[in-house]
Amino acid sequence: MVATVVRLKLTLLRNTLRRDRWRVVLLALGAVWALGAVPSVLGGALFLARQDVSVRHDMLVVVGTVLVTGWAVVPVLVFGSDDTLEPARFATFGVRVRRLVPGLLVASVLTVPALFTAVVCASAVVAWGSAGTAAAVVAAAGAVLALATCLLAARITTTAAARMLGSRRARELSAVTAAVVVTSALPLAFGIGGLGLEGTLERVPGIARVLGWTPLALAWAAPASAADGDTLGAVSRLALASAWVVLGAVAWGLLIRRRLVNPSEGSGRSRRQVDALLTGSRLGAASRERIAARAIGVRARRYWVTDPRFVTALVSLLVLPALITVLLATVVDVPGIVAIALGPLLGATLGWGRHNDLAFDGSAFWLHVVSGTTGRVDRWGRLLGLLGWGVPLVVAGSLAGVAVARRPDLLPATLGLALGLLAAGLAVSAVTSVALPYPVPAAGASPFASEAGAIGASMAAQLVASAATAVVALPVLVAFALAVAWQPAIGWVVLALGAGGGAVAVRAGVVLGGRVYDARAVRLLARLR
Amino acid sequence: MTALAPALSLRGLARRFGATIAVAGLDLDIPSGSFYGVVGPNGAGKTTTLSMATGLLVPDAGRVLVHGVDLWADPHAARPLLGVLLDGLRTFDRLTGAELISYAGLLRGMPADVVRERRDDLLAALDLRAAAGLLVADYSAGMTKKVALACALVHAPRLLVLDEPFEAVDPVSATAIRGILTRFVAAGGTVVLSSHVMALVERLCDHVAVVAAGRVVEAGTLDEVRRGIDLEDRFVGLLGGAVPEQELAWLRPSSA
Repeated sequence: MVATVVRLKLTLLRNTLRRDRWRVVLLALGAVWALGAVPSVLGGALFLARQDVSVRHDMLVVVGTVLVTGWAVVPVLVFGSDDTLEPARFATFGVRVRRLVPGLLVASVLTVPALFTAVVCASAVVAWGSAGTAAAVVAAAGAVLALATCLLAARITTTAAARMLGSRRARELSAVTAAVVVTSALPLAFGIGGLGLEGTLERVPGIARVLGWTPLALAWAAPASAADGDTLGAVSRLALASAWVVLGAVAWGLLIRRRLVNPSEGSGRSRRQVDALLTGSRLGAASRERIAARAIGVRARRYWVTDPRFVTALVSLLVLPALITVLLATVVDVPGIVAIALGPLLGATLGWGRHNDLAFDGSAFWLHVVSGTTGRVDRWGRLLGLLGWGVPLVVAGSLAGVAVARRPDLLPATLGLALGLLAAGLAVSAVTSVALPYPVPAAGASPFASEAGAIGASMAAQLVASAATAVVALPVLVAFALAVAWQPAIGWVVLALGAGGGAVAVRAGVVLGGRVYDARAVRLLARLR
Repeated sequence: MTALAPALSLRGLARRFGATIAVAGLDLDIPSGSFYGVVGPNGAGKTTTLSMATGLLVPDAGRVLVHGVDLWADPHAARPLLGVLLDGLRTFDRLTGAELISYAGLLRGMPADVVRERRDDLLAALDLRAAAGLLVADYSAGMTKKVALACALVHAPRLLVLDEPFEAVDPVSATAIRGILTRFVAAGGTVVLSSHVMALVERLCDHVAVVAAGRVVEAGTLDEVRRGIDLEDRFVGLLGGAVPEQELAWLRPSSA
C-alpha cells in the first residue's frame, strides 16, 4: 500500500509538472534554495558539535520546537498548499484507513520543504557525532521521529482546519480560533518585548528544559540525555516521542476516517426568513443600473460572512496586520510609531485582496452575463459590497494605530495613507479581476485546496496587482513619507490625496475595468469553474 | 407555420475545444410559439450549442438571432428576450432560494416590488415555499434545478432555453414544471429544451431536432421526425444503430 501511494504521488507530480511549466520553475527554485541552505545547516551542526552538551541541547530543542510549530501552523495559513493526496479523494476506493495512513505519510516526504526538514533533522546526528556512539544512535532514531512529528503535525492541523473551515459554521469557529491565537500571542510578544533580547536569551535553558519533555522536542532532547550518560532518560524520551507519533497517526487516521465517511460537511443548515436583497431597498424610482449594482453589493457582502473562502480571508485580514504590528513593536527595539502601520496595512490588504474577485464567483457568474449586466454596474456593485464596512474598518484601524503610537499629529497622514492604499488596491482590483483572473478553490470547497495548474497565472496576477497598486498609491506614499520624516502638517495633503485622489482612482478603475469586462465577460466565463 | 421571424435562429454555428470539434456548422430554426426538443447522444454538442445560443459561450463562427435580433452583435437588445437554464453551471449558493430569485430579477433591473411579487409566485408554483429561507447550498439537486428555473423565468422572457431541465427533478415537481412550460407556450412563448429522455420529449414537444457530432441530423415537427415509429427507435436508427454489445463476462457478483 505504501508503495502504491508513493507511486501515485510521483505520477501525479509528473503529470502536474508536465502541464504547468511554472510549477517546474517554482520547484527548481525551491530545490536550489534548499540545496543552497544545506551547507549552512551542516555548518551549524558542525559548530554545535564543538559546544557543551547543554548548549547543544538548548539550541536543538529550540530548533525542533520551531520546526514542529512551523509545520503545524504554516500549511494552515498558506493557501494553496499541496493537496494532491487529500484523503477525501480516496473515499470511493474502499481502502482501510489504517493501511492508507502510512502511505500518505511517506508520500508527504516527497516535497521540497519536507526533504529539507529531513536534512535539518538528520543534521542532529552530525551535531551529536562527537559525543559518542550512543548519542549518535539516539540522535539518528530521534531524527526519524522528529521528521515524522513534523509531517504528522502538518497533516493533523490541515485536515482538522479543512474540516472546520469547510463547514458552514466556519464563521463562529474561525472567529474563536483567531481570538485564541491573538490572545495567546499577545502576552508572549509583550513578555519577550519586556525582557529584551538578552533577558530572553537567559531564559532559553529553562524554557528548553521544559520543551524537551513536550511532544514538540522530545526527539531533539533525547541525544543530550545519552551524551550525559543518562541512558534511561534517552530511552524514555525516545519511547515517549514514538508514543506521540503513534498517537498522532491514530488521531490523523480518525480525522481521515471522519472525512471519508462525511466528505462534504452538511452541518448547520441555516435558515433566514428575510430576503436581504429586497429589504431596506427604497421602492422609489431607482435606475435599472442602480438596482442591479445594489443587488450585487448586497450579495457580495453576504459572501463575506457565509463563504468559508471569504471568512478565512477576513480572519487573516484582521489577524495579520495586528500580529505584524505587535511583533514589530515588541520584539525588536522599534519605537511605538510602527503601530500607525495598522490602518494602512488593513487598507492595503483589503484593497489588494480583491484583485481576483471575479474568480470567486466561479461559473455562478453566468447569471451576471445572462442578465446583460454591464461592466460598470458589475464593478460598482462589487465595490459597494466592500466600501460600506471596509472604509469604517480602515478608519478605525488608523485611529487605533495612532492612539497606540501616541502620535495624534500623524492622524491625518495615517488616515490618508490608509484610505489611499485601500482605494489604490480597489482601483487596481477592479481591472485585474477581469483582466487577469486565476482559478481559486470552488465555492464550498476547502479554502486550503489548491487549484492544480494555477500557480503561474496566480503568481503573475499577484505580481501585477502589487506593482500596479504601488504605482497608483505612489503619490500618497511619498507624501506620507514627507509627513512622517519632515512636517506632520503635510498630513493634510496626504489625507486629501488619499481620500480625494483615491475616489478618482476608484472611479477610473471602475470605468477601465468595466470596459475590459464588457469586452471579455463571456470569455471569462469559459475560464471560471 | 407563422410568418413571424423564428424565435431562435442558429446559422452556421461552430465551436472547437482544442482538437475536438464540438459544434460543426450547425443550422437550426426554432419557430415562434413552438415547444422544441433537442435530443442527441452524450457529447453531441447540445450543451455547447445551447451555451452559444444563449450568449454564454463565444462561437468560433456563426450567428444567433433571437426574434430577429443578432445576439452577439447586439446583446443588450437580445438578452432581455431570453430566459436561460444551463446544466453544469454553479449558482450563487450562499443566497437563500428566495434571495437567488430576487437577485436574478434585480440584476435585470426590475423594481423591487415587482420582483417580490414574482418571487413569491414562483416559489409557490415550484413548490419551494418551505425551502425559501434555506441556503441554496443546502438544496438537493432537484431543488437547485427548480430555483434556477425560477431565475430564468423571473423577468418573463419571450424565449426559454433550458438544458436538461428535468434532470434530478422528482415526478411531482416535473409535473409542475411541465404545466408551467405548457402554459407558457400556450400564452405565446417559445421553449427550447434538451433532454436524453425521449419519452419526455415525445410527450411534451411539438418540434424535435436530433443533434449528433455537432450537426443537426434531422429536424422538424415531431411527426416529421419520427415518421410513424417510436421516437427512441427513430433516434437510434438515425445514429446508426446501437452500440455493439461487448460482453463483460467477468461482471458477476461472485467473481473476485
